[in-house]
Amino acid sequence: MNLTYNQAYNELSKLVDQIEDDKIQLDTLAEKVKQAKELIDYCETRLRSIDKDVEAALSDKKTTTRKKSK
Amino acid sequence: MPKRLKLSELIGEIDDAIQDRFAGETFWITAEITDVKKQPDKRWCFLKFIEKEGSLITAEIKGVFWSNAYDNVVRFEKLSGRPFASGLEITCNVRVRFHKRFGIDLEVLEIDHTYALGKLEQEKQQTLDRLVNENPTLIRLVDGQYFTSNKSLEVPIVLQRIALVTAPDSDGQRDFKQEMANNPYGYVFSVIEFLTQIQGDNSSNLIIQKLKQIEAKKENFDVVAIVRGGGSQTDFKPFDDYELSKYVASFPLPIFTGIGHDRNTSIVDLMARQHKTPTKVASSIVEHNFNFESEIIELKDRLLETTERMIDKAKDNLLQMKRTVKAYSPSTILNKGYAIITSNDQIIIDPKDIKLNSEIKTILKNEVIHSTVTKKSKHELDL
Repeated sequence: MNLTYNQAYNELSKLVDQIEDDKIQLDTLAEKVKQAKELIDYCETRLRSIDKDVEAALSDKKTTTRKKSK
Repeated sequence: MPKRLKLSELIGEIDDAIQDRFAGETFWITAEITDVKKQPDKRWCFLKFIEKEGSLITAEIKGVFWSNAYDNVVRFEKLSGRPFASGLEITCNVRVRFHKRFGIDLEVLEIDHTYALGKLEQEKQQTLDRLVNENPTLIRLVDGQYFTSNKSLEVPIVLQRIALVTAPDSDGQRDFKQEMANNPYGYVFSVIEFLTQIQGDNSSNLIIQKLKQIEAKKENFDVVAIVRGGGSQTDFKPFDDYELSKYVASFPLPIFTGIGHDRNTSIVDLMARQHKTPTKVASSIVEHNFNFESEIIELKDRLLETTERMIDKAKDNLLQMKRTVKAYSPSTILNKGYAIITSNDQIIIDPKDIKLNSEIKTILKNEVIHSTVTKKSKHELDL
């Protein structure tokens, strides 16, 4: 999954709204709950681990430091 | 041959003349100071008082704070958030002294702090007015509040990639990183440091250069933190600089400041989002993310509640259906003492289908009774 926090949040609120709608069918419920759960896990994991973009920025910094030290 | 005096005799006469005129008297003067040399270990401060016409110095005299008056210097720095340094205009109470070797000077007994601070405040206000007047699209003053382009930037929903501008090996740097690393929620941050001197004459330019490096890579960052440790450091001046303030007001990423001074707010603070201390900048970033996570947790709770409710409802419906089915099942009926009658293996619903002398089966709870019909008659039971 490669979403911004904003996208994840908006998607998640949309799913929860749909799930809370009384007209939802039980068989689509399972799929939506699964998607929602994935989005929650995604946000909570990402808050506690370094993202790929950040790693890229960090490694970028490392290379420039190395260049300087030469 | 005229009478010759020894140098000490002439100086003695000068000393006497000065004593006659100035002994026991003190004066209040207002003047610019320059060549300020502080010796905090000895609690002395040497300086020169000057007066200018344009750029030309028209009057100049040495001055000194001895240890009994040195507190004035310390207090000035504490109150103003500025170093006691060349270029300031101060009002002070002085005494004229003469020393046979070091000559004439003014011993400072007391500073008029109200005047000195007023003067600084005036300069700061001039810079602020200039910022507003010369940059109307960037900076607006509404009801005593400064609105800047930077302050109106939307802060990303989560702040994780931080550009930190601070002095190397400073209290501010340490406090900030410590608070981030020890956050109680276990959040992870990437803090990339842009280290520079942040005190002294050229500091504002050095800070601008660091901000330019950040701007060049702005998509790698969510927020910029400019922090400065407290402690004995009192130099606020770089943060009142016009060019730095203007750049901060226009900066494309949100800037949080923790310049660490309780009494004073610098101009840079007014152009950005002010959080006072490095620790407070860090904790506000942590709390910002916690607010986001709280919203996620709230959605998660709603989700769980709704799904539980829906599953419970479905279970109830199913149970209800099971009961209905069971209530109408033949075994339930037979258990209650009713019977099923068949003829030629067909269930008889209408008694007309049963002919006299035909074979029928009566199915009861556990057994089948085989009989031959010998008589049929209507009943008048009230069923």
